[in-house]
Amino acid sequence: MTSCKIIRWIVWRDVVTEWRSRETISSMVFFALIVILIFSFSFSMDQQAAREVIAGIMWVAFSFTGIIGLGKSFSAELQNDCLESLRMIPGPKGAIYLGKVAANFAFMFIVEILLCPMFVIFFNLDVVEEIACLLVIFFLATMGLAAVGTLFSAVTVQIRARDVMLPILLLPLAVPVMIAAVEATKAALNGDPLSLYGRWLELLVVFDAVFLVVSYWMFEFVMDS
Amino acid sequence: MTIHRVIRKVRRFQGWVGGGAALCLIVGLYLGLIGSPPDYYQGEVVRIMYIHVPLAHTSLLGYLALAVGSAWYLWKRDPLTDNVCHAVAALSAAFTALALATGMIWGKPTWNTWWTWDARLTSYTVMLFILIGYLMLRTVIDDPEQEARYAAVLALIGLVDLPIIHFSVEWWRTLHQPQSISLRGVSISSGLLVPLACMSIGMSLLFSYMLMIRTQQLYLTHLLHAKKGRLLSQFHLSKSDT
Repeated sequence: MTSCKIIRWIVWRDVVTEWRSRETISSMVFFALIVILIFSFSFSMDQQAAREVIAGIMWVAFSFTGIIGLGKSFSAELQNDCLESLRMIPGPKGAIYLGKVAANFAFMFIVEILLCPMFVIFFNLDVVEEIACLLVIFFLATMGLAAVGTLFSAVTVQIRARDVMLPILLLPLAVPVMIAAVEATKAALNGDPLSLYGRWLELLVVFDAVFLVVSYWMFEFVMDS
Repeated sequence: MTIHRVIRKVRRFQGWVGGGAALCLIVGLYLGLIGSPPDYYQGEVVRIMYIHVPLAHTSLLGYLALAVGSAWYLWKRDPLTDNVCHAVAALSAAFTALALATGMIWGKPTWNTWWTWDARLTSYTVMLFILIGYLMLRTVIDDPEQEARYAAVLALIGLVDLPIIHFSVEWWRTLHQPQSISLRGVSISSGLLVPLACMSIGMSLLFSYMLMIRTQQLYLTHLLHAKKGRLLSQFHLSKSDT
């Protein structure tokens, strides 16, 4: 099978499974709502203070929910030995990785889009003008998280204590994504011109490109047995 | 199973490396603590530099060695290389933690704070977290071959990530405020440089010496486990025969 076909099948299969159970996305959204709730207890904020910390809260919520989604992405393959079947797909192993990245990215991005109105409502934000910039930032940062996260989801699924190990391994590596995403989101919410935070977007693009390539290559070693 | 020929060779040299390390460290410490003049601005406090800087250099070299070893392992699949990687990672983590600790002790009198979210400190701490994650990953996998493979993948991903982490953290700090505290401000005179170089070489030799011993330990432990497994399976087979 060619890579394109493998990618298409894996994305299709993940989306259909998700559509039938609606398990991952609903648990991610609900978990994020709880995180937002707890943050609003922890900091009592007026609108001015909210602008300062909201970007951080947003990305903490997004990355934690992302980890839930990423963890489920491969642990769902343990049932009925699906992982073994994936290994037996003729063709490059990296295609499986790209398909999984696409599916994980789609789930995380959908959850972020769903959560955006919640932030606007709960923290009394005004995002109408900057929505395009925010979507670009969300897109790039989520892609970065999905690129590294999918690889480590595949690593941790085959070991003991997988629920603990995924965030322990993933979060230090995702430090650049978090910094760039928080800084860019903060600037965009402030209404700064793009030239002020453009370099963060460049950093995100570099991170995405580097880790899609490196992880594509490394996935070969993770999957062989 | 015989002892690996590389291990046998290492055993012949390790005394020299250890002796060299002891010599360099003693000479370096003497020159640094007694022989060199105190710093004009920092006074006697500057002497912790002779411990701190070599530790930091050696730990960074250690990470580089870990990445090279991991790439080599993924290419050749040699179990001894994996033992070396395991030992290097543990030693690098220890040296990194010590460098951070001595840095804090140095920071308290000179910067008047134990900790600051300076670019270099932050990226160095992230490196320590990656190394700790690496060591934890090794403890939760049962199959030695799988353990070696995953650990090597993590080390290489970390190597690619470290420069990006460094740049992002540097931009993060410099965009907010000009870096008020920087190690680059201190220029080094030759009176300080000689003991520093001596300590750096000594620390690297000490690292190598500890690495040799730890590698042998890990290698022999694996050998023992393999032998035990074979004996046990023979025992079970003979039992099932009767």
